[in-house]
Amino acid sequence: MSNTLLWYTTRGAGAVSLVLLSAVVVLGILSILRVQSTSWPRFLTVGLHRNLALMTLVFLALHIVTAVIDPFTHLGWLTAVVPFSSYYRTVWLGLGTIAFELLLAIVLTSLVRGLIGQFAWRLVHWLAYASWPIAVVHGAGTGTDAWSAWLFTLQAICVLTVLGATAYRLMAGDRDPLASARSSFQTAVDRREPK
Amino acid sequence: METRDTTQDRVRARDAAMRLLNRLTTGAAVSALVGVGLFGAVSAYTIPGSKTNSTATASTTSTSSSTSTSTSSGLQSSTSPVTSSSSSGVAVSGGS
Repeated sequence: MSNTLLWYTTRGAGAVSLVLLSAVVVLGILSILRVQSTSWPRFLTVGLHRNLALMTLVFLALHIVTAVIDPFTHLGWLTAVVPFSSYYRTVWLGLGTIAFELLLAIVLTSLVRGLIGQFAWRLVHWLAYASWPIAVVHGAGTGTDAWSAWLFTLQAICVLTVLGATAYRLMAGDRDPLASARSSFQTAVDRREPK
Repeated sequence: METRDTTQDRVRARDAAMRLLNRLTTGAAVSALVGVGLFGAVSAYTIPGSKTNSTATASTTSTSSSTSTSTSSGLQSSTSPVTSSSSSGVAVSGGS
């Protein structure tokens, strides 16, 4: 395999990983909002969110492996594991390593969710909100094509989509369908409490 | 009977949603693979980079003063050994 083919694959896999990661974040937000219809039950959003997250890891692995084994760059495997250990674009590549490790932590804790408990899983899952912007900054800083029209457009679409979903999430508030029932129950309990 | 029908409807809806999930996942995987190729091709087209050869040689012969021309891929490599001539110069007289 030629150096240039590895280089092109690295860049292609990086762009695809960004799109997949953005889709994962948007689906995660939609699952919190309990979006559903007759043809789109809620578990479909959660299932697709989980499958795309695993797929993102696969394409990120392709992105990293092709970058590391490319003999032209001489990045080394340490760069893929230890943040800010690269001689080349130290900060930007370090951010990429951090984003990958955060995503890895999120996926692994999701797979053993039953063992670690809901609270610990939720704490780690909040890292997703950090992983995505770090990945975007990594792409903008490191990417060979960062300022090419095609990748700039792709990044802009991803950023606007995630920002739109986040804004909708903040405006929609809590969509807990049992919220009113819980409130009524608590009021009834308080009323019956002996003074 | 009505309860049974409702349960059957829910099972059917769940199966349909599961099939949709499988189709969407497969579609996303295929699209992502195509995307790697497509984005790779676009990136190659926009910023192709440049190849560099580790060895660059130029051949000269005693009978020709022309040198090999370089292409976009660097200097052309020579399969023949590089030779040089150290013969003394010849002066020709009597020409017009």
